[in-house]
Amino acid sequence: MTVERLLHILRLRWLSLFRRNQVDRDLDDELRFHVEAETARLVAAGQDPESAADTAYRSLHGLERTAEQCRDTRGVAWAETLVQDLRYGARTLARNPGFTLAATVTLALGIGANTAVFTLLDGIVFAPLPFPDDSRLVSLQATYPAGGLVALREQLKTLDAASYATAKHVTLGAPGGAVRVSSVKTSAELFTVLGVRPAIGRVFRSGEDRAPGGRIAVLSHRSWVARFGADPTIVGRSVLVDGTAREIVGVMPPEFGFPASAVELWLPLTVDAGDTVAYWAGDFMPIVGRLRPGVDISQAQAEARLFQARIGERFPWRMPEDWNKDLTVIPLQQALVGDVTPRLMLLSIAVALVLVIACANVANLSLTKTAARAREIGIRSALGAGPRRIARQLLTESALLGLLGGIAGALVAVQMLSLLKIVLPPDTPRLMEVQLNWRVLAFTAAIALGAGCLFGLAPVLQAMRLRLRDTLDSAGRGAAASVGAPARAALTIAQIAGAVVLVIAAGLLVRSLWILTSADPGFRPDAVVTARVAPAATTCATAERCLVNYQQLVTSASAMPGIRDAALVNTLPLTGEVAKRSLQLEGFVPEPSKSAPLFWLHAITPRYFDVMGARLEAGRAFTDADVSGHARVAVVTATTARRYWPRESALGKQLRFVGENEWRTIVGVVGDLRAYDLTRPEPEWIDGTIYVPFNVTATLEDGAIPTQMTLVARGSGTSALSVAALGTTAQRAGGDLMVSDIRPMSAIVAERSAAPSATAALLVSMAVMALVLGSVGVYGVLSFLVSRRTRDLGVRMALGATPKDVFLLVIGEGARLCVAGIALGVAGALALTRWLQSELHGVSATDPATYALVVLVVALVTLAACYVPTRRAMAVDPLVALRDS
Amino acid sequence: MSRPQDLVQGTLDLLLLKILALEPMNGHAISQRLKQVSGAVLQVSDGSLYPALHKLEQQGWVTATWKVTENNRRAKFYALSRAGRQQLDRESEAWTRLSTAITQVVNLGNARG
Repeated sequence: MTVERLLHILRLRWLSLFRRNQVDRDLDDELRFHVEAETARLVAAGQDPESAADTAYRSLHGLERTAEQCRDTRGVAWAETLVQDLRYGARTLARNPGFTLAATVTLALGIGANTAVFTLLDGIVFAPLPFPDDSRLVSLQATYPAGGLVALREQLKTLDAASYATAKHVTLGAPGGAVRVSSVKTSAELFTVLGVRPAIGRVFRSGEDRAPGGRIAVLSHRSWVARFGADPTIVGRSVLVDGTAREIVGVMPPEFGFPASAVELWLPLTVDAGDTVAYWAGDFMPIVGRLRPGVDISQAQAEARLFQARIGERFPWRMPEDWNKDLTVIPLQQALVGDVTPRLMLLSIAVALVLVIACANVANLSLTKTAARAREIGIRSALGAGPRRIARQLLTESALLGLLGGIAGALVAVQMLSLLKIVLPPDTPRLMEVQLNWRVLAFTAAIALGAGCLFGLAPVLQAMRLRLRDTLDSAGRGAAASVGAPARAALTIAQIAGAVVLVIAAGLLVRSLWILTSADPGFRPDAVVTARVAPAATTCATAERCLVNYQQLVTSASAMPGIRDAALVNTLPLTGEVAKRSLQLEGFVPEPSKSAPLFWLHAITPRYFDVMGARLEAGRAFTDADVSGHARVAVVTATTARRYWPRESALGKQLRFVGENEWRTIVGVVGDLRAYDLTRPEPEWIDGTIYVPFNVTATLEDGAIPTQMTLVARGSGTSALSVAALGTTAQRAGGDLMVSDIRPMSAIVAERSAAPSATAALLVSMAVMALVLGSVGVYGVLSFLVSRRTRDLGVRMALGATPKDVFLLVIGEGARLCVAGIALGVAGALALTRWLQSELHGVSATDPATYALVVLVVALVTLAACYVPTRRAMAVDPLVALRDS
Repeated sequence: MSRPQDLVQGTLDLLLLKILALEPMNGHAISQRLKQVSGAVLQVSDGSLYPALHKLEQQGWVTATWKVTENNRRAKFYALSRAGRQQLDRESEAWTRLSTAITQVVNLGNARG
């Protein structure tokens, strides 16, 4: 096609679309000219003027038709009809404000909820990590101690590995005062592996994580701004971190927060090959890596597995056989968001169901409208509109409605997203990064149009079957309307089924939540206040000084007004922190393939169990004499006692720390505290829990006593009073100890149930929405059925049917729909058990009691929705009904 | 009067292009010329002539200008465009091939008989 021709064609199209009047006038002129010229010719040939004009006119076989055909050649017909359809559709929607409003609101809810959840899914699961070339970043689903990491870096050729320890809170000496911040110790190469450059200064260099280790730190951007006032001279400044002076060597860019956005400080690890215990049995750390060029993930996995098979030999002791057994290498993004993906998938399924129900509702409404427009469609058909033309017009109308719903839905989505951000637990990975973006808008638009076409199909299919005769014939009113009945019944059944699935899911989640929060945590968190305590610079230079200070703190705290008892513990329940220690137990020989039992070590002061409200099941708790006298005693939990001494009392049994010579005697057995999370007293990799008195003998793996403790205090007054009072008094009494993070224990417990609470709340609201929509659907369809059978009912009543008979008849129709819907819904819920089970605690996804209850509730609700139409049916006056036909 | 033979749309395009190749003219004149040249065998109904002309214009094979005739009337004159000339060549060639083939088939039996 030449440019000349293209321009010519475009010009004509443009004229046809935007100068339509001019073009039409030209066409008119042209045809009139023809008629005149032909008339002139015929007259010149001898015909009389009048008949000549007549013949000339007729030669065109209908001026209007010829003109119409000429217009059809313009190639813009589709655009013209589209505009026409849109205008007409808009007018029709405006004429039925009730329908339009109901449909738009229903769609807005469905589309808005879907968009909000998809935005979450997009921002958390699908969006690439904010690191360069992030597809090359992987995570080894395995953990290694420092020694393992060093060996990994030496031996693996397929990737560059780096690692980081668990985030811990440290005391940072900021200009505004000492403050507790989240900090992570990382291997020197972590930043390089991730590929992130600092905003100011530098990151760690290779080798800075080897003992004695650089006294350096990297600051997060947020911390730099908030705590150091964005001081431009920060690089090179020395700050106190847990009493040690460190030089700030760099500040990270604003968006960087690894492994969580709460981290404010990065410190280098201190890897010391000479310290065997720390080197081979210290923190087991996750490994991230960057694939080297030309390598793919399966090669990396193969090499890593080979490495894992041989690394066991390097350990000074036997490692358990199942350690890092099924080592897999997965993309880093998957590893970071893996936990939250099932929950998001559950939400997605739920909102998808809501959307389906919403569309079904709108489809039902549309069907009613189409049936009412039967006459109009019949007339259009008579005027020459083919079935495709009518179908196109109805579809355009539906698409318009879908678009309206989409726009309203986008507004709902924005609101719902901000709500979700508040309601979801704050440690949901990447939650704060989530924003509405163009992909999401495109998705909304697609849903809107898709929904429009989906529920537009229903009236279209019905309209196509409307025949001219049927619709213009007044007696055919019944016949035409009856065409829609099976479709509407199917839609209503689908709605009820969807509602049933959602209500079952919501019910199960609520039950699970209830079990979770009402489960006995093994202690009484009410009236307990907690505070983190950390030593200042030299307070814990010697163990004795450390203990003296801490003892003073406990004594002062116990003496405070409003406090009944105070105690110290090294790891507070439900904070996720675990202190591990390997033990040897009397009379217990571990299996050859397993290592010595690994216990969770708690160092406590004597009043701890009283403060926490834990139950002593046998024996006694510690006394001050145990503490000061360095008695070698211990208390274990009931589960631990049962596990290792199942048929006898654990009292009097002996155990000792690996690496020590002295044996300890068990003097007490305490009831399990749900210390790890709301459902478990300890993580799977821990074999038992042990409590020892907090004195010089309470050594951790590194041989030193714990220096960071948590103060717990049980108040006799209101907890609000205790929090404030504890703060000031403890600061004063603490002396060389820093007290921070004062929080009631109940808040910590509530935090742990935040995620399941949020999920349950969301699902409940969706279930309510679905139930409401479903009832409206049932009501609508039954009204429709009743109205179409008015004549039929009138006849029945005239022939002697009692109101009761009518009642049973109509209720029977409604009941049939309900039963079918409920059955389908239960089947659907059973099919979805897989997604649900991961969210449930203590209740099975196929719990019969919940299912039965839900079936009952839904049945009642839907039958209630049948009530009004049934009453109307019973009130039908046979005379009126018969006369109306 | 015999019934006008309805021509296939494609050959009508060819005829119109050819007529316009000789000189630009308006629709009425085209209709007359067609009847003239073909000896009244090809009777194209004017009702299908104009749509065909408009289609050719929309496709860019002919261009149109408005002129005022002696009687002070506006008339639309069509002329062949450069692309149209090439299209005419292509269509003539195609027609020749087609008609040769048909003639051959029709004359099949005659050679022997």
